[in-house]
Amino acid sequence: MAHYETDEPIYALATPYSPSALAVIRASGDGVISLLQPYFSGKIEKAESGRVLHGYINGTDGRHIDEVVVIKYGKGHGYTSEEAFEIMCHGSLPVIRQISALFEEIGIREALRGEFTYRAFMHGRMDLTQAEAVEEIVKARTGKGAGEALERLSGTILEEADKAKNEILEILASLEVQLDYGEDEIPEDWEFPSERVHAIRDRLAAIASTYRSSKLWTEGAVVVIAGRTNAGKSSLYNALLKENRAIVSPIEGTTRDYIESDAEIDGIPVRLFDTAGFRETEEAVEAEGIKRTESLMETADLIVYVIDPSSDDAAPEDPRVLTVYSRLDIVDKGKALSFSSVTGEGLDKVISAITGKLTAGLSEVAGVPVIDSERQRDKLLEASDSLGEAEKSMAFGFDVVAMYLQSALASLGELTGLVTGEDVLDKLFSSFCLGK
Amino acid sequence: MRDYDAIVIGGGHAGIEACLALSREGFSTLLITQSLDAIGRMSCNPSIGGLAKGNLVREIDALGGEMGHLADKAMIQMRMLNKRRGPAVQAPRAQEDKFTYSRIAKETLESEEKLSLFMDTVVDFITENGTVAGVVTERGWRISAKAVVLTTGTFMDGRIFIGEYDAPCGRLSESAAIGLGDSLRRLGFHTGRMKTGTPARVRKSTLDFDEMEIQDGDTPMLPFSFETDCIDRTSIPCYVTYTNEETHRIIRENISRSPLYGGKIVGKGPRYCPSIEDKVVRFPDRERHQIFVEPEGIGTEEMYLNGLSSSLPEDVQHAFIHSIPGLRHAEIMRPAYAVEYDYLNPLDLYPSLESKILSNLFIAGQTNGTSGYEEAAAQGLIAGINAAERLKGEKPFILSRTESYIGVLIDDLVTKGTKEPYRMFTSRAEYRLSLRHDTADQRLTRKGYEVGLAGKDRLDRLERKSEEIRRVKEILQHTRIGAKSAYDTLKEPEKDIHELKISSLASYPEEVLREAELDIRYSGYIDRQERELEKARKAENMEIPSDFDYDSVDGISAEAREKLKAVRPVSIGQAGRISGIRVSDTAVLAVAVRSVKRG
Repeated sequence: MAHYETDEPIYALATPYSPSALAVIRASGDGVISLLQPYFSGKIEKAESGRVLHGYINGTDGRHIDEVVVIKYGKGHGYTSEEAFEIMCHGSLPVIRQISALFEEIGIREALRGEFTYRAFMHGRMDLTQAEAVEEIVKARTGKGAGEALERLSGTILEEADKAKNEILEILASLEVQLDYGEDEIPEDWEFPSERVHAIRDRLAAIASTYRSSKLWTEGAVVVIAGRTNAGKSSLYNALLKENRAIVSPIEGTTRDYIESDAEIDGIPVRLFDTAGFRETEEAVEAEGIKRTESLMETADLIVYVIDPSSDDAAPEDPRVLTVYSRLDIVDKGKALSFSSVTGEGLDKVISAITGKLTAGLSEVAGVPVIDSERQRDKLLEASDSLGEAEKSMAFGFDVVAMYLQSALASLGELTGLVTGEDVLDKLFSSFCLGK
Repeated sequence: MRDYDAIVIGGGHAGIEACLALSREGFSTLLITQSLDAIGRMSCNPSIGGLAKGNLVREIDALGGEMGHLADKAMIQMRMLNKRRGPAVQAPRAQEDKFTYSRIAKETLESEEKLSLFMDTVVDFITENGTVAGVVTERGWRISAKAVVLTTGTFMDGRIFIGEYDAPCGRLSESAAIGLGDSLRRLGFHTGRMKTGTPARVRKSTLDFDEMEIQDGDTPMLPFSFETDCIDRTSIPCYVTYTNEETHRIIRENISRSPLYGGKIVGKGPRYCPSIEDKVVRFPDRERHQIFVEPEGIGTEEMYLNGLSSSLPEDVQHAFIHSIPGLRHAEIMRPAYAVEYDYLNPLDLYPSLESKILSNLFIAGQTNGTSGYEEAAAQGLIAGINAAERLKGEKPFILSRTESYIGVLIDDLVTKGTKEPYRMFTSRAEYRLSLRHDTADQRLTRKGYEVGLAGKDRLDRLERKSEEIRRVKEILQHTRIGAKSAYDTLKEPEKDIHELKISSLASYPEEVLREAELDIRYSGYIDRQERELEKARKAENMEIPSDFDYDSVDGISAEAREKLKAVRPVSIGQAGRISGIRVSDTAVLAVAVRSVKRG
């Protein structure tokens, strides 16, 4: 269980979690500089405190994540008075996610709300009032920050994790009873319930695999709005940007070509493209634009094909295509997905259809609920790994097996509520007839 | 009557440790007991130690307590439990000669120069401004002292039950201490009722031993005390038999005559040590229950029927005992009975075991809602040491959960309280891999020495042993087994230090080799825990001033505030273990405590 404490390496996003031009991620704690060094091209270990370094942040696989600027703080210098650094990276959600993932991997955990302030206060930063420090921490309880919302387990997942937890608790209790009562009282030796544990591990792995890690959540999705000229593409594009947090990045093409922007649609980072319309044309520039649209459509994860309901246009045959009718205020196409950029009607349906289609393939994993946070996935995998270690330790001793089972419970406990020693004893007394 | 530095009330396992700690640290101490013939009496089973409990005994010994010595001298059989199941959860358990144990305990107290013994019953306290100043006895003595340790066991308003019969006793035919409970309630103490039980004792010469399995102990017997070199006595066997359908039928048919099921007993009994009627009712599918027949001592015919505790009427006891193989002709010398008694809510105690209600009063043992001789002795020792620290004007002596079972025991009691008689279990300790019984001296003897209880000879012994262990590890590091060092080889499962056949190790004692081997084997796992341990220690070191004003803290929930005010934790670490206290509450508290310190 994470606790407010000092010196342990932590990180937090200092700017809002939404697409923006720049984002600042800060980290603090013993050894954070040397933890970062292998993944940063600048020579930060050798730099003086307060120096600004430019370079690349790389993932553990060696691939560039982003071009960044890093400020180094030696012990006693920065906000927390601990060894610290601040990274200024591009404010794209995939970049932020990838840097967070890197930190988790190299042993820097996500800070609790207000933990930076807490540390600054505990390290005697006199300019910080007690009230300020307390306020930050209390916010953690009442606040509904974007970060926290991502952490919450949804109902079915909570049930699943709870089920796994209770099963492990039962197994642990059946082992603990042998560690708390001698072999003369409980002569039969405990055997590792391999089948049961394998089933739990499979289940945990299945839940974990539903984490929309791959492309969708770390790199985001490419969504291309296509259709004939004047079908209503640009108004949909603008409406989507208005409805969803977005920034319009520097326009890379012309209106004849395409425009793009980063947006977050239902929490999914999306690179949204508005393209040139299809029509027969002789004009070279426009023909070039259409060509580019076609190649964009090839790389798209989802194509939103907009049709003017009064036209005879039909969407291309492609599983990635979502057909949407515009001008709902003028022509009602009945059951077909429609919207009006004038009244805003139907827009919410279009958005949920986009999200639905993007996540469709991913949630089909054999009835297992979908998780959406990396931390959740990591805890599930941690629990599964601990169960594996428990089985491997059978040759070593029951005491070590029990330790791994407890670790598994602790990992799941962070998702569903902690398991205490008392819970283990309750289970033990209710299941076994004990006592000389 | 003269006055004393300290008074200890009660001569049980807690009282013995408390009065020895005080007198050995140089304070004139008076032990008041209701019966001088019952000092160190083992009221229930004739054994000491067991899983987690054996660790407690060795920790008591490592600190300079007496229980290990007494148990070694009165031992008649010994077993190392859980040999197969993992070294970190092994522990010694010994059968004891009750009479020898009690006699040696009394002799030990009598040989202490600074310790006086007196037979009377304490009925009230003398108090001055919220501080205890002495005691008042049944026969009218008023004796003053600067510190008092209260260890009443099951005697405070004790009542025993055998079927329809009940009587005001702490043990069978031993008068309860009446009046003290009322006095304590008047002073504002919170009392509750708890219940425990003990089985019948039967006559050895009337048992059919050929119908029972024999249960021998280990040879040689290994000592509890780090100061005992060897125990050279022959071991005496125990016997095993089983209940059967007939036994269970008799119990079921008479269950309404049990005071437990009839509602006469209100106190909460232990789930881990249920009476036979509980076992039959709660686990109806079990065809049989195991019964251990254990000698109560050498010079006696009495045998203890471990597993048959009961409060059913005596005629029912006779019937069900006689339905069990080996016991068909047993002469029942003492009946089984249940005892219900007052305990004091341990949440009213600081981790030093000093009362929050009455200063300079320390409370230990079953009075705090625990069960077991070992749990009692551990608290008695800590209470005695802390009473002495108070007399010296020193800071409290508190052991942490990370370094000892004693720390776990006391922290659980004073932080979470208890709803049933509290027994030590290994699963209560988060860091049990680091709390092996054989390392108790490494963990605690220096602390015992520094506080003034463990002698220099103990420390010297420890240093010699530590040096030997260090040398053994060095030899292992410099000896190659194939491609690896012997040291690394031992990290593999099922490798044994003796199998390696390293000639330069031959001269080292077995315990040194064993301890070195286990240190190495567990080093990887201990390292794994080290970060957690470090965090825990840090939180323990963040002290909360004893006069801290919780009402002045903004940002904690009302519920948390009430709980904090009730427990008055000594550290942020302890605060975090109070049930219902959230991470954010402790963080806010840490900030508030820190700003108080800044002034």
